[in-house]
Amino acid sequence: MLTELRISNFRCFESFDCSLESGTTLFVGENAQGKTSILESICVLMRLQSPRSNKVSDQIRFDAEACSIEGILSGKRLLFSAAGPKRRMTVDNESFSKRKDYLAETGLVVWIGNDDIDLVRGSAESRRRYLDFGASQLSAGYLPALRAYTRALRARNFLLKRDANPCWDQIDSYTKLLVQHGTYIAEQRSALISSLVPFAKKLQLDVSGKDELLSLNYVRSGNEDLELAYEEKKEAEAKQRLTLVGPHRDDLELSINSLLASKFASEGQQRTIALSLKIAQSHVLRERKGSNPILLIDDIFGELDSSRRNRLLSSFPEGAQKIITTTSLDWASDGCLEGSRCYSLSKGLLDEM
Amino acid sequence: MARLNFPEEIKSLIDTLKKLPGIGPRGAERIAVWLINQDREFASLLSKVVEDSVQLIGACEICGFFKSHEKGCFSCDDSERDGSVICVVEQPTDVIALEKTGAFKGTYHCLGGKIAPLDNIGPEDLRVSSLISRIEDSDFGEVILGVGSDVEGEATANYLADLIVGKGLKVDITRLAQGLPAGGGLENADELTLYRALDGRRKV
Ligand SMILES: [Zn+2]
Repeated sequence: MLTELRISNFRCFESFDCSLESGTTLFVGENAQGKTSILESICVLMRLQSPRSNKVSDQIRFDAEACSIEGILSGKRLLFSAAGPKRRMTVDNESFSKRKDYLAETGLVVWIGNDDIDLVRGSAESRRRYLDFGASQLSAGYLPALRAYTRALRARNFLLKRDANPCWDQIDSYTKLLVQHGTYIAEQRSALISSLVPFAKKLQLDVSGKDELLSLNYVRSGNEDLELAYEEKKEAEAKQRLTLVGPHRDDLELSINSLLASKFASEGQQRTIALSLKIAQSHVLRERKGSNPILLIDDIFGELDSSRRNRLLSSFPEGAQKIITTTSLDWASDGCLEGSRCYSLSKGLLDEM
Repeated sequence: MARLNFPEEIKSLIDTLKKLPGIGPRGAERIAVWLINQDREFASLLSKVVEDSVQLIGACEICGFFKSHEKGCFSCDDSERDGSVICVVEQPTDVIALEKTGAFKGTYHCLGGKIAPLDNIGPEDLRVSSLISRIEDSDFGEVILGVGSDVEGEATANYLADLIVGKGLKVDITRLAQGLPAGGGLENADELTLYRALDGRRKV
Protein backbone atom coordinates (compact mmCIF):
# COMPACT_ATOMS: atom_id res chain seq x y z
CA MET A 1 0.00 0.00 0.00
CA LEU A 2 1.23 3.45 -0.97
CA THR A 3 0.54 5.87 1.87
CA GLU A 4 2.39 9.05 0.94
CA LEU A 5 3.24 10.63 -2.38
CA ARG A 6 5.51 13.60 -2.95
CA ILE A 7 6.31 14.99 -6.39
CA SER A 8 8.56 17.78 -7.52
CA ASN A 9 9.04 19.17 -11.02
CA PHE A 10 7.22 16.25 -12.57
CA ARG A 11 5.24 17.22 -15.71
CA CYS A 12 3.11 20.26 -14.78
CA PHE A 13 3.67 20.02 -11.02
CA GLU A 14 6.20 22.21 -9.28
CA SER A 15 5.68 20.31 -6.07
CA PHE A 16 3.01 18.74 -3.96
CA ASP A 17 2.56 16.04 -1.40
CA CYS A 18 -0.46 14.12 -0.30
CA SER A 19 -1.57 11.17 1.77
CA LEU A 20 -3.25 8.23 0.12
CA GLU A 21 -6.03 6.11 1.56
CA SER A 22 -5.72 2.34 1.90
CA GLY A 23 -9.07 2.05 0.14
CA THR A 24 -9.82 4.73 -2.42
CA THR A 25 -8.24 8.10 -3.10
CA LEU A 26 -9.84 10.41 -5.66
CA PHE A 27 -8.35 13.31 -7.58
CA VAL A 28 -11.09 15.53 -8.98
CA GLY A 29 -10.44 18.20 -11.58
CA GLU A 30 -11.17 19.52 -15.03
CA ASN A 31 -9.25 18.18 -18.00
CA ALA A 32 -5.64 19.31 -18.48
CA GLN A 33 -5.11 20.00 -14.77
CA GLY A 34 -2.59 17.20 -14.42
CA LYS A 35 -4.75 14.42 -12.99
CA THR A 36 -3.24 11.79 -15.23
CA SER A 37 0.27 12.98 -14.35
CA ILE A 38 -0.37 12.06 -10.71
CA LEU A 39 -1.19 8.48 -11.68
CA GLU A 40 1.72 8.48 -14.09
CA SER A 41 4.12 9.53 -11.32
CA ILE A 42 3.00 6.56 -9.21
CA CYS A 43 3.47 4.24 -12.18
CA VAL A 44 6.99 5.57 -12.77
CA LEU A 45 7.87 5.29 -9.08
CA MET A 46 6.66 1.71 -8.87
CA ARG A 47 7.54 0.32 -12.33
CA LEU A 48 10.05 2.80 -13.80
CA GLN A 49 7.87 3.17 -16.84
CA SER A 50 5.00 5.30 -17.91
CA PRO A 51 1.93 4.38 -19.94
CA ARG A 52 2.50 7.72 -21.69
CA SER A 53 5.81 8.91 -23.10
CA ASN A 54 8.83 7.17 -21.66
CA LYS A 55 11.10 10.02 -22.61
CA VAL A 56 12.48 11.31 -19.34
CA SER A 57 12.77 14.81 -20.81
CA ASP A 58 8.98 14.91 -21.25
CA GLN A 59 8.49 14.07 -17.60
CA ILE A 60 10.64 16.87 -16.21
CA ARG A 61 8.80 20.17 -15.72
CA PHE A 62 9.54 22.63 -18.54
CA ASP A 63 11.97 24.97 -16.76
CA ALA A 64 13.41 22.49 -14.24
CA GLU A 65 16.56 20.40 -14.54
CA ALA A 66 15.47 17.41 -12.52
CA CYS A 67 12.29 15.80 -11.28
CA SER A 68 11.68 13.55 -8.33
CA ILE A 69 8.94 11.25 -7.11
CA GLU A 70 8.89 9.93 -3.59
CA GLY A 71 6.49 7.56 -1.91
CA ILE A 72 6.04 5.48 1.20
CA LEU A 73 5.17 1.95 0.15
CA SER A 74 4.24 -0.32 3.08
CA GLY A 75 6.67 1.59 5.30
CA LYS A 76 9.53 1.67 2.75
CA ARG A 77 10.60 5.02 1.33
CA LEU A 78 10.93 4.83 -2.46
CA LEU A 79 12.60 7.67 -4.29
CA PHE A 80 12.98 8.11 -8.03
CA SER A 81 14.69 11.09 -9.57
CA ALA A 82 15.73 11.98 -13.08
CA ALA A 83 18.10 14.67 -14.28
CA GLY A 84 18.77 14.78 -17.99
CA PRO A 85 19.23 11.15 -19.06
CA LYS A 86 20.35 10.12 -15.58
CA ARG A 87 18.03 8.25 -13.26
CA ARG A 88 18.46 7.54 -9.58
CA MET A 89 16.52 4.97 -7.62
CA THR A 90 16.67 4.50 -3.89
CA VAL A 91 14.80 2.44 -1.30
CA ASP A 92 15.19 3.65 2.29
CA ASN A 93 18.18 5.72 1.15
CA GLU A 94 19.92 2.69 -0.36
CA SER A 95 20.77 3.42 -3.97
CA PHE A 96 20.10 0.85 -6.71
CA SER A 97 21.99 0.92 -9.98
CA LYS A 98 20.04 -1.89 -11.70
CA ARG A 99 16.39 -1.45 -12.59
CA LYS A 100 15.75 -5.11 -11.90
CA ASP A 101 16.99 -4.86 -8.30
CA TYR A 102 14.95 -1.73 -7.61
CA LEU A 103 11.82 -3.25 -9.14
CA ALA A 104 12.14 -6.26 -6.84
CA GLU A 105 11.66 -3.84 -3.92
CA THR A 106 8.60 -2.01 -5.25
CA GLY A 107 5.03 -3.17 -5.75
CA LEU A 108 2.57 -4.20 -8.39
CA VAL A 109 0.57 -1.80 -10.52
CA VAL A 110 -2.32 -2.02 -12.95
CA TRP A 111 -3.24 0.98 -15.07
CA ILE A 112 -6.83 1.39 -16.24
CA GLY A 113 -7.57 4.32 -18.50
CA ASN A 114 -9.65 5.66 -21.36
CA ASP A 115 -6.98 4.85 -23.92
CA ASP A 116 -7.28 1.17 -23.06
CA ILE A 117 -9.69 0.76 -25.95
CA ASP A 118 -6.53 0.80 -28.10
CA LEU A 119 -5.90 -2.67 -26.71
CA VAL A 120 -8.76 -3.83 -28.88
CA ARG A 121 -8.78 -1.33 -31.74
CA GLY A 122 -5.14 -0.29 -31.93
CA SER A 123 -2.06 -1.95 -33.34
CA ALA A 124 -0.51 -5.16 -32.04
CA GLU A 125 2.11 -2.97 -30.36
CA SER A 126 -0.35 -1.87 -27.66
CA ARG A 127 -1.37 -5.48 -26.95
CA ARG A 128 2.28 -6.55 -26.72
CA ARG A 129 2.87 -3.69 -24.30
CA TYR A 130 -0.05 -4.88 -22.20
CA LEU A 131 1.41 -8.40 -22.04
CA ASP A 132 4.91 -7.09 -21.32
CA PHE A 133 3.67 -4.85 -18.51
CA GLY A 134 1.94 -7.82 -16.85
CA ALA A 135 4.68 -10.41 -17.47
CA SER A 136 7.43 -8.10 -16.21
CA GLN A 137 5.62 -7.89 -12.87
CA LEU A 138 5.24 -11.66 -12.66
CA SER A 139 8.83 -12.70 -13.43
CA ALA A 140 11.93 -10.75 -12.47
CA GLY A 141 13.73 -12.19 -15.50
CA TYR A 142 11.22 -10.88 -18.01
CA LEU A 143 12.34 -7.26 -18.32
CA PRO A 144 16.06 -8.12 -18.66
CA ALA A 145 15.17 -10.70 -21.34
CA LEU A 146 13.01 -8.18 -23.18
CA ARG A 147 15.74 -5.56 -23.08
CA ALA A 148 18.36 -8.03 -24.29
CA TYR A 149 16.00 -9.17 -27.05
CA THR A 150 15.33 -5.59 -28.14
CA ARG A 151 19.03 -4.76 -28.19
CA ALA A 152 19.90 -7.88 -30.17
CA LEU A 153 17.04 -7.12 -32.57
CA ARG A 154 18.38 -3.62 -33.22
CA ALA A 155 21.85 -4.96 -33.97
CA ARG A 156 20.44 -7.69 -36.21
CA ASN A 157 18.27 -5.28 -38.21
CA PHE A 158 21.26 -2.96 -38.53
CA LEU A 159 23.39 -5.80 -39.92
CA LEU A 160 20.63 -6.88 -42.32
CA LYS A 161 20.47 -3.36 -43.75
CA ARG A 162 24.17 -2.45 -43.66
CA ASP A 163 25.80 -4.50 -46.40
CA ALA A 164 24.95 -5.19 -50.01
CA ASN A 165 25.54 -8.85 -49.18
CA PRO A 166 24.36 -9.40 -45.61
CA CYS A 167 27.09 -11.09 -43.56
CA TRP A 168 25.12 -14.01 -42.18
CA ASP A 169 27.91 -15.19 -39.89
CA GLN A 170 27.47 -12.04 -37.81
CA ILE A 171 23.70 -11.93 -38.22
CA ASP A 172 23.39 -15.52 -37.00
CA SER A 173 25.31 -14.70 -33.84
CA TYR A 174 22.38 -12.41 -33.03
CA THR A 175 19.76 -14.86 -34.29
CA LYS A 176 20.84 -17.23 -31.53
CA LEU A 177 20.21 -14.51 -28.96
CA LEU A 178 16.76 -13.79 -30.41
CA VAL A 179 15.98 -17.51 -30.21
CA GLN A 180 17.22 -17.73 -26.62
CA HIS A 181 15.47 -14.63 -25.23
CA GLY A 182 12.53 -14.74 -27.65
CA THR A 183 11.59 -18.29 -26.66
CA TYR A 184 11.48 -17.27 -23.01
CA ILE A 185 9.48 -14.11 -23.75
CA ALA A 186 6.90 -15.95 -25.86
CA GLU A 187 6.56 -18.70 -23.24
CA GLN A 188 6.02 -16.17 -20.47
CA ARG A 189 3.44 -14.31 -22.54
CA SER A 190 1.56 -17.54 -23.36
CA ALA A 191 1.57 -18.55 -19.69
CA LEU A 192 0.29 -15.10 -18.72
CA ILE A 193 -2.54 -15.39 -21.25
CA SER A 194 -3.52 -18.81 -19.89
CA SER A 195 -3.77 -17.28 -16.43
CA LEU A 196 -5.74 -14.29 -17.75
CA VAL A 197 -8.33 -16.32 -19.67
CA PRO A 198 -10.59 -17.53 -16.82
CA PHE A 199 -10.66 -14.08 -15.17
CA ALA A 200 -11.16 -12.16 -18.41
CA LYS A 201 -13.99 -14.47 -19.52
CA LYS A 202 -15.84 -14.08 -16.24
CA LEU A 203 -15.25 -10.32 -16.12
CA GLN A 204 -16.60 -9.88 -19.63
CA LEU A 205 -19.82 -11.63 -18.58
CA ASP A 206 -20.06 -9.72 -15.28
CA VAL A 207 -19.24 -6.23 -16.52
CA SER A 208 -21.25 -6.39 -19.74
CA GLY A 209 -24.13 -8.18 -18.03
CA LYS A 210 -24.59 -9.97 -21.34
CA ASP A 211 -23.80 -13.37 -22.75
CA GLU A 212 -20.51 -12.34 -24.34
CA LEU A 213 -17.91 -15.05 -24.64
CA LEU A 214 -14.44 -13.47 -24.72
CA SER A 215 -11.46 -15.45 -25.95
CA LEU A 216 -7.75 -14.63 -25.91
CA ASN A 217 -5.25 -16.23 -28.22
CA TYR A 218 -1.51 -15.67 -28.54
CA VAL A 219 -0.74 -15.49 -32.24
CA ARG A 220 2.87 -16.05 -33.19
CA SER A 221 4.49 -14.38 -36.16
CA GLY A 222 5.93 -17.69 -37.32
CA ASN A 223 6.90 -21.16 -36.25
CA GLU A 224 6.62 -21.74 -32.50
CA ASP A 225 10.12 -23.23 -32.67
CA LEU A 226 12.00 -19.97 -33.11
CA GLU A 227 15.12 -21.62 -34.46
CA LEU A 228 13.05 -23.08 -37.30
CA ALA A 229 11.11 -19.84 -37.64
CA TYR A 230 14.27 -17.90 -38.51
CA GLU A 231 15.38 -20.57 -40.95
CA GLU A 232 12.02 -20.43 -42.70
CA LYS A 233 12.12 -16.63 -43.00
CA LYS A 234 15.75 -16.34 -43.98
CA GLU A 235 15.08 -15.70 -47.65
CA ALA A 236 12.35 -13.15 -46.98
CA GLU A 237 14.54 -11.41 -44.42
CA ALA A 238 17.40 -11.19 -46.88
CA LYS A 239 15.02 -9.59 -49.36
CA GLN A 240 13.29 -7.20 -46.97
CA ARG A 241 16.39 -6.48 -44.87
CA LEU A 242 14.36 -6.81 -41.68
CA THR A 243 13.81 -9.30 -38.86
CA LEU A 244 10.37 -10.65 -39.71
CA VAL A 245 9.64 -13.13 -36.97
CA GLY A 246 9.80 -13.24 -33.18
CA PRO A 247 7.96 -11.85 -30.15
CA HIS A 248 8.29 -8.31 -31.50
CA ARG A 249 5.83 -9.34 -34.22
CA ASP A 250 3.51 -11.57 -32.19
CA ASP A 251 -0.01 -10.49 -31.29
CA LEU A 252 -2.78 -11.12 -28.79
CA GLU A 253 -5.94 -11.97 -30.69
CA LEU A 254 -9.21 -10.99 -28.99
CA SER A 255 -12.61 -12.23 -30.03
CA ILE A 256 -16.19 -12.11 -28.80
CA ASN A 257 -18.42 -15.07 -29.58
CA SER A 258 -15.75 -16.25 -32.03
CA LEU A 259 -15.71 -12.97 -33.97
CA LEU A 260 -12.61 -10.79 -34.10
CA ALA A 261 -13.23 -7.98 -31.60
CA SER A 262 -11.27 -5.31 -33.46
CA LYS A 263 -13.55 -5.70 -36.48
CA PHE A 264 -16.88 -6.94 -35.27
CA ALA A 265 -17.40 -5.71 -31.70
CA SER A 266 -19.30 -2.47 -30.97
CA GLU A 267 -17.48 0.38 -29.25
CA GLY A 268 -19.24 -0.46 -25.97
CA GLN A 269 -18.14 -4.09 -26.26
CA GLN A 270 -14.61 -3.01 -27.08
CA ARG A 271 -14.46 -0.81 -23.97
CA THR A 272 -15.72 -3.67 -21.84
CA ILE A 273 -13.10 -6.03 -23.31
CA ALA A 274 -10.34 -3.54 -22.51
CA LEU A 275 -11.63 -3.21 -18.92
CA SER A 276 -11.91 -6.98 -18.56
CA LEU A 277 -8.31 -7.42 -19.71
CA LYS A 278 -7.01 -4.82 -17.26
CA ILE A 279 -9.00 -6.08 -14.29
CA ALA A 280 -8.06 -9.66 -15.17
CA GLN A 281 -4.43 -8.53 -15.00
CA SER A 282 -4.96 -7.32 -11.43
CA HIS A 283 -6.50 -10.66 -10.42
CA VAL A 284 -3.65 -12.63 -12.00
CA LEU A 285 -1.06 -10.49 -10.21
CA ARG A 286 -2.86 -11.03 -6.92
CA GLU A 287 -3.17 -14.77 -7.52
CA ARG A 288 0.41 -15.34 -8.65
CA LYS A 289 2.24 -12.84 -6.41
CA GLY A 290 0.07 -13.15 -3.31
CA SER A 291 -0.47 -9.41 -2.95
CA ASN A 292 -2.80 -6.85 -4.48
CA PRO A 293 -1.62 -4.46 -7.15
CA ILE A 294 -2.33 -0.75 -6.79
CA LEU A 295 -5.03 0.16 -9.27
CA LEU A 296 -4.44 3.45 -11.09
CA ILE A 297 -7.76 4.33 -12.66
CA ASP A 298 -7.71 7.27 -15.04
CA ASP A 299 -11.02 8.99 -15.75
CA ILE A 300 -13.18 6.08 -16.76
CA PHE A 301 -16.16 6.39 -14.41
CA GLY A 302 -17.82 9.48 -15.87
CA GLU A 303 -18.88 7.56 -18.96
CA LEU A 304 -20.41 4.53 -17.32
CA ASP A 305 -24.02 4.23 -16.18
CA SER A 306 -24.51 3.44 -12.51
CA SER A 307 -25.24 -0.27 -12.87
CA ARG A 308 -22.17 -0.90 -15.04
CA ARG A 309 -20.08 1.25 -12.73
CA ASN A 310 -21.13 -0.68 -9.66
CA ARG A 311 -20.54 -3.99 -11.38
CA LEU A 312 -17.10 -2.68 -12.25
CA LEU A 313 -16.29 -1.49 -8.72
CA SER A 314 -17.24 -4.87 -7.32
CA SER A 315 -15.11 -6.70 -9.87
CA PHE A 316 -11.78 -5.32 -8.57
CA PRO A 317 -9.71 -7.61 -6.35
CA GLU A 318 -10.97 -7.30 -2.80
CA GLY A 319 -9.01 -4.88 -0.66
CA ALA A 320 -6.94 -3.47 -3.51
CA GLN A 321 -5.83 0.15 -3.15
CA LYS A 322 -7.49 2.33 -5.77
CA ILE A 323 -6.31 5.72 -6.94
CA ILE A 324 -8.88 7.30 -9.20
CA THR A 325 -9.04 10.47 -11.27
CA THR A 326 -12.34 11.95 -12.38
CA THR A 327 -13.69 15.22 -13.78
CA SER A 328 -16.64 15.30 -11.40
CA LEU A 329 -18.06 13.43 -8.44
CA ASP A 330 -21.65 13.45 -9.72
CA TRP A 331 -21.51 9.75 -10.44
CA ALA A 332 -20.57 8.96 -6.84
CA SER A 333 -23.70 10.50 -5.30
CA ASP A 334 -25.06 7.08 -4.38
CA GLY A 335 -22.38 6.64 -1.71
CA CYS A 336 -20.39 4.02 -3.59
CA LEU A 337 -17.17 5.75 -2.50
CA GLU A 338 -17.80 6.00 1.21
CA GLY A 339 -14.66 6.21 3.31
CA SER A 340 -12.50 7.48 0.48
CA ARG A 341 -10.27 10.53 0.49
CA CYS A 342 -10.86 13.27 -2.06
CA TYR A 343 -8.56 15.92 -3.49
CA SER A 344 -9.49 18.66 -5.88
CA LEU A 345 -6.98 19.68 -8.45
CA SER A 346 -6.76 22.98 -10.26
CA LYS A 347 -3.83 24.64 -12.03
CA GLY A 348 -1.34 22.23 -10.51
CA LEU A 349 -2.57 22.91 -6.96
CA LEU A 350 -4.02 20.28 -4.70
CA ASP A 351 -6.72 20.74 -2.04
CA GLU A 352 -8.26 18.16 0.22
CA MET A 353 -12.05 18.19 -0.15
CA MET B 1 45.82 45.48 -20.22
CA ALA B 2 45.81 41.95 -21.56
CA ARG B 3 43.00 39.65 -20.59
CA LEU B 4 44.31 36.99 -18.21
CA ASN B 5 44.22 33.37 -19.29
CA PHE B 6 46.14 30.13 -18.74
CA PRO B 7 49.81 30.44 -19.82
CA GLU B 8 50.63 28.60 -23.05
CA GLU B 9 52.42 25.80 -21.17
CA ILE B 10 49.36 25.07 -19.07
CA LYS B 11 47.10 25.32 -22.10
CA SER B 12 49.00 22.59 -23.90
CA LEU B 13 49.00 20.50 -20.71
CA ILE B 14 45.20 20.86 -20.55
CA ASP B 15 44.83 20.05 -24.25
CA THR B 16 46.91 16.91 -23.77
CA LEU B 17 45.03 15.79 -20.67
CA LYS B 18 41.72 16.23 -22.49
CA LYS B 19 42.72 13.42 -24.84
CA LEU B 20 42.71 10.89 -21.99
CA PRO B 21 39.63 8.66 -21.85
CA GLY B 22 36.95 9.91 -19.46
CA ILE B 23 38.53 13.34 -19.00
CA GLY B 24 36.50 16.36 -20.12
CA PRO B 25 37.64 20.02 -20.41
CA ARG B 26 36.78 20.79 -16.78
CA GLY B 27 38.51 17.69 -15.45
CA ALA B 28 41.59 18.49 -17.55
CA GLU B 29 41.77 22.00 -16.06
CA ARG B 30 41.39 20.67 -12.54
CA ILE B 31 44.17 18.08 -13.02
CA ALA B 32 46.48 20.65 -14.65
CA VAL B 33 46.06 23.11 -11.77
CA TRP B 34 46.59 20.31 -9.27
CA LEU B 35 49.74 19.12 -11.06
CA ILE B 36 51.49 22.48 -11.06
CA ASN B 37 50.86 22.78 -7.35
CA GLN B 38 52.80 19.55 -6.69
CA ASP B 39 56.57 19.52 -6.15
CA ARG B 40 58.90 19.02 -9.09
CA GLU B 41 59.74 15.45 -8.12
CA PHE B 42 56.16 14.40 -8.69
CA ALA B 43 56.12 15.84 -12.20
CA SER B 44 59.40 14.08 -13.01
CA LEU B 45 58.09 10.82 -11.60
CA LEU B 46 54.87 11.11 -13.59
CA SER B 47 56.61 11.80 -16.87
CA LYS B 48 59.07 8.97 -16.19
CA VAL B 49 56.42 6.31 -15.45
CA VAL B 50 54.40 7.38 -18.47
CA GLU B 51 57.45 7.27 -20.70
CA ASP B 52 58.66 3.93 -19.28
CA SER B 53 55.26 2.30 -19.72
CA VAL B 54 54.95 3.42 -23.30
CA GLN B 55 58.60 2.75 -24.20
CA LEU B 56 58.99 -0.61 -22.55
CA ILE B 57 55.53 -2.14 -22.71
CA GLY B 58 53.24 -2.83 -25.64
CA ALA B 59 50.47 -5.21 -26.64
CA CYS B 60 51.62 -8.72 -27.58
CA GLU B 61 51.01 -9.32 -31.31
CA ILE B 62 49.96 -12.89 -30.56
CA CYS B 63 47.73 -12.75 -27.49
CA GLY B 64 47.02 -9.05 -26.97
CA PHE B 65 48.19 -9.07 -23.34
CA PHE B 66 50.96 -6.76 -22.09
CA LYS B 67 54.39 -7.48 -23.44
CA SER B 68 57.81 -6.22 -22.40
CA HIS B 69 59.84 -5.26 -25.48
CA GLU B 70 62.90 -6.61 -23.67
CA LYS B 71 61.65 -9.72 -21.89
CA GLY B 72 58.77 -10.75 -24.13
CA CYS B 73 55.09 -11.45 -23.44
CA PHE B 74 54.19 -12.02 -19.80
CA SER B 75 51.60 -14.57 -20.85
CA CYS B 76 52.85 -16.28 -24.06
CA ASP B 77 56.45 -16.59 -22.89
CA ASP B 78 55.58 -18.14 -19.54
CA SER B 79 56.45 -21.80 -20.17
CA GLU B 80 54.73 -22.92 -16.97
CA ARG B 81 51.28 -22.06 -18.31
CA ASP B 82 49.03 -24.96 -19.32
CA GLY B 83 49.16 -25.05 -23.12
CA SER B 84 46.13 -27.29 -23.48
CA VAL B 85 43.55 -24.61 -22.73
CA ILE B 86 43.05 -21.03 -23.92
CA CYS B 87 40.72 -18.44 -22.46
CA VAL B 88 39.40 -15.73 -24.79
CA VAL B 89 38.61 -12.40 -23.13
CA GLU B 90 37.90 -8.85 -24.25
CA GLN B 91 40.69 -6.87 -22.55
CA PRO B 92 43.99 -7.40 -20.69
CA THR B 93 42.21 -6.15 -17.55
CA ASP B 94 39.96 -9.25 -17.77
CA VAL B 95 43.09 -11.44 -17.66
CA ILE B 96 44.15 -9.76 -14.43
CA ALA B 97 40.68 -10.27 -12.94
CA LEU B 98 40.78 -13.99 -13.83
CA GLU B 99 44.33 -14.38 -12.53
CA LYS B 100 43.22 -13.07 -9.13
CA THR B 101 40.93 -16.08 -8.74
CA GLY B 102 43.94 -18.40 -9.08
CA ALA B 103 41.60 -20.93 -10.69
CA PHE B 104 43.02 -20.73 -14.20
CA LYS B 105 46.50 -21.85 -15.26
CA GLY B 106 46.10 -21.83 -19.03
CA THR B 107 46.90 -19.30 -21.74
CA TYR B 108 44.95 -16.23 -22.74
CA HIS B 109 43.79 -14.38 -25.82
CA CYS B 110 42.63 -10.74 -25.59
CA LEU B 111 40.36 -9.75 -28.46
CA GLY B 112 40.71 -6.03 -27.78
CA GLY B 113 36.93 -5.58 -27.40
CA LYS B 114 33.76 -7.24 -28.58
CA ILE B 115 31.82 -7.28 -31.82
CA ALA B 116 29.33 -4.40 -31.67
CA PRO B 117 27.81 -3.51 -35.05
CA LEU B 118 25.93 -0.51 -33.66
CA ASP B 119 29.28 0.94 -32.52
CA ASN B 120 30.89 0.00 -35.84
CA ILE B 121 33.14 -2.68 -34.36
CA GLY B 122 33.34 -5.79 -36.50
CA PRO B 123 35.43 -8.99 -36.24
CA GLU B 124 38.07 -7.38 -38.49
CA ASP B 125 38.68 -4.72 -35.82
CA LEU B 126 39.52 -7.37 -33.22
CA ARG B 127 42.19 -10.08 -32.79
CA VAL B 128 39.94 -12.73 -34.31
CA SER B 129 42.05 -14.06 -37.17
CA SER B 130 45.09 -14.35 -34.88
CA LEU B 131 42.94 -16.38 -32.48
CA ILE B 132 42.01 -18.79 -35.26
CA SER B 133 45.67 -19.11 -36.32
CA ARG B 134 46.64 -19.87 -32.73
CA ILE B 135 44.02 -22.61 -32.45
CA GLU B 136 45.09 -24.04 -35.83
CA ASP B 137 48.76 -24.07 -34.87
CA SER B 138 48.50 -25.27 -31.28
CA ASP B 139 47.21 -28.30 -29.47
CA PHE B 140 44.47 -26.71 -27.42
CA GLY B 141 41.96 -29.23 -26.11
CA GLU B 142 39.63 -26.48 -24.92
CA VAL B 143 38.76 -22.89 -25.83
CA ILE B 144 37.00 -20.99 -23.05
CA LEU B 145 34.94 -18.07 -24.34
CA GLY B 146 35.36 -15.65 -21.44
CA VAL B 147 33.78 -12.59 -23.05
CA GLY B 148 31.20 -10.57 -21.10
CA SER B 149 27.60 -11.66 -20.61
CA ASP B 150 25.89 -8.62 -22.13
CA VAL B 151 24.21 -8.80 -25.54
CA GLU B 152 27.34 -7.90 -27.52
CA GLY B 153 29.46 -10.30 -25.44
CA GLU B 154 27.04 -13.16 -26.02
CA ALA B 155 26.87 -12.37 -29.75
CA THR B 156 30.67 -12.32 -29.89
CA ALA B 157 30.81 -15.72 -28.15
CA ASN B 158 28.25 -17.10 -30.62
CA TYR B 159 30.23 -15.71 -33.55
CA LEU B 160 33.53 -17.20 -32.36
CA ALA B 161 31.97 -20.59 -31.59
CA ASP B 162 30.42 -20.76 -35.08
CA LEU B 163 33.68 -19.67 -36.65
CA ILE B 164 35.76 -22.30 -34.84
CA VAL B 165 33.27 -25.06 -35.60
CA GLY B 166 32.93 -23.86 -39.20
CA LYS B 167 36.70 -24.14 -39.69
CA GLY B 168 36.47 -27.77 -38.64
CA LEU B 169 38.83 -27.25 -35.70
CA LYS B 170 38.68 -30.14 -33.26
CA VAL B 171 38.53 -28.42 -29.91
CA ASP B 172 36.04 -28.25 -27.01
CA ILE B 173 34.38 -24.84 -26.80
CA THR B 174 33.10 -23.75 -23.40
CA ARG B 175 31.49 -20.62 -22.05
CA LEU B 176 31.94 -19.23 -18.55
CA ALA B 177 29.02 -20.31 -16.37
CA GLN B 178 26.15 -17.97 -15.61
CA GLY B 179 26.29 -15.99 -12.43
CA LEU B 180 28.34 -13.27 -14.02
CA PRO B 181 26.50 -9.99 -13.62
CA ALA B 182 24.26 -9.71 -16.69
CA GLY B 183 25.27 -6.82 -18.88
CA GLY B 184 28.69 -6.55 -17.29
CA GLY B 185 32.23 -7.35 -18.22
CA LEU B 186 34.56 -9.60 -16.27
CA GLU B 187 36.38 -6.73 -14.60
CA ASN B 188 33.20 -5.80 -12.71
CA ALA B 189 32.75 -9.28 -11.24
CA ASP B 190 34.10 -10.17 -7.83
CA GLU B 191 36.67 -12.97 -7.44
CA LEU B 192 34.27 -15.55 -6.03
CA THR B 193 31.78 -15.02 -8.86
CA LEU B 194 34.57 -15.37 -11.41
CA TYR B 195 35.91 -18.46 -9.65
CA ARG B 196 32.49 -20.12 -9.80
CA ALA B 197 31.99 -19.02 -13.41
CA LEU B 198 35.26 -20.69 -14.37
CA ASP B 199 34.48 -23.78 -12.35
CA GLY B 200 31.03 -24.28 -13.82
CA ARG B 201 31.78 -23.46 -17.45
CA ARG B 202 29.59 -25.22 -19.98
CA LYS B 203 30.02 -26.55 -23.50
CA VAL B 204 28.64 -24.53 -26.37
ZN1 LIG C 1 51.33 -12.88 -25.74
